Amino acid sequence: MIKASNVSLKYSDGTIALRDVNLRIDPGEFVYIVGPSGSGKTSLLKLLMGIEFPSSGSLYVMDQPIVKSEIKNIRKLRRNIGPVFQEFRLIPGRTALENVLTGMRFLDIPKRQMINNAKEALAKVGLEHKALLMVDKLSYGEAQRVAIARALARKPALILADEPTGNLDYNNAINIMNLMYTLKDRNTTVLITTHATHLISNYGNATIIRVEEGRVRVEHRGEQS
Amino acid sequence: MKNFLYFIRESLRIIRLNKLSNLFSFLGTTLILFLLALVVGIWSISSQLTEMLRNEAEINAYFNRNIADPEELLSLVGQIDGVREVRLVDKEEARMRMERILGEEADILDLFDENPFEAYIEVKIHLDRMDSVFSQISLLNGIDYVRENREVLEQIEGVTKALEVLGYLVIAAVSITTLIIISHMIRQGVYQNREHIRTLILLGAPDNFINFPYILLGFLLTFGGGIAATVLINIIINQGYGRLGGILPFIPMPPKNQLVYGLSVFLLAVSAALGILGSLFGVSTSKRKN
Repeated sequence: MIKASNVSLKYSDGTIALRDVNLRIDPGEFVYIVGPSGSGKTSLLKLLMGIEFPSSGSLYVMDQPIVKSEIKNIRKLRRNIGPVFQEFRLIPGRTALENVLTGMRFLDIPKRQMINNAKEALAKVGLEHKALLMVDKLSYGEAQRVAIARALARKPALILADEPTGNLDYNNAINIMNLMYTLKDRNTTVLITTHATHLISNYGNATIIRVEEGRVRVEHRGEQS
Repeated sequence: MKNFLYFIRESLRIIRLNKLSNLFSFLGTTLILFLLALVVGIWSISSQLTEMLRNEAEINAYFNRNIADPEELLSLVGQIDGVREVRLVDKEEARMRMERILGEEADILDLFDENPFEAYIEVKIHLDRMDSVFSQISLLNGIDYVRENREVLEQIEGVTKALEVLGYLVIAAVSITTLIIISHMIRQGVYQNREHIRTLILLGAPDNFINFPYILLGFLLTFGGGIAATVLINIIINQGYGRLGGILPFIPMPPKNQLVYGLSVFLLAVSAALGILGSLFGVSTSKRKN
């Protein structure tokens, strides 16, 4: 699913975000990426999304090389990814349902199924009763759950979630983690960055990757589904 | 097609986001297209006038009185390349024509004991072959004198050509201005929605999907301007057509309905094409991150 060999990422201001990353993530693997703020967790997800490109080394996501010259194919690759952005990236002035639907409108999903997927995903994150509310009216935690629903509704092969429980209370955070964990059963690969290490102890089968000062180390290799 | 309503809703949202600017763009486009319709209308009327005068372009050839059989001469003239029609105008018809021209003053012709007019050959010609026809008729045996109305025709031809050039200039100016207005408006819309567009790009949306609401927006505004300009020009023609015919009775006006229909179709087609082209230009020149 993901293969990185000696990948480094250096930003234009000279900051080295990641150094010599070697990584292999298999299909269906459930992965936590942990580490302190500024360690490079988000940079790693940006690389996997093709938002940034490796300064050196080689990176493949679903056999797609992540290089600038492949941007057209990377944009196609993103249709197989369910991203949950740290800043949510919901579209203001639209309802929660419309936001979830927006993530699917350009995918090859029939209209009826698209609506069913959206409603089902909103129900899974506990927001079916707020489907028709404008996202501007939602709390931070609710907006975050809409962003998660948008990623889930697409039924992607890979979910990349950047701090998806960052704005949730303990119960909602546990629910979201449980929900993400169930995706293993349908062979979805899930990568979650989190500060909340107290939440991850419940998931023994998860792989834990620690990022510190741009260096990536697999701390625990979980079982695949 | 599953996203058709979504695209319409998105376009209307972008319009609402920038109400005042879009309103002025709409009004500007309407006025520009109205100006275009006026120029094209005048051009169309003047072209019709020229075409009518072209068809009336003629040469009068006066022949020697001693010629026994003018029909033979008529046949020779008819064979010249560039001649459309030949007929003999006898002395009586020549006098009657002059009486018609003189009107109430025609009594003056009674002062003559004999009909002072001579028979002549009336030759309708293709205007662009006037020089060659003129010289060939002049060289025929039995022809004394050839008269043509080239000067008048050339002047009208000149005015029509000037109007034609003006028409092309106005079309170019209207096209460029509309393209700039629409593309600028689209770029403004893209800029204001840059975060929305960025999100769609990160979700993997193809460019066609992202661009379509903006292209639809440009089309709707320009086509709307086209419809408004069509309504205006219809009002103007309906109000002013009869009056113009009264003031300038010698100008052959095309049938009103034909002119209205032609201008309406022209305006709607031009506005639709300019709307789509302007939007495509606006979208293609907008900067965005992948």
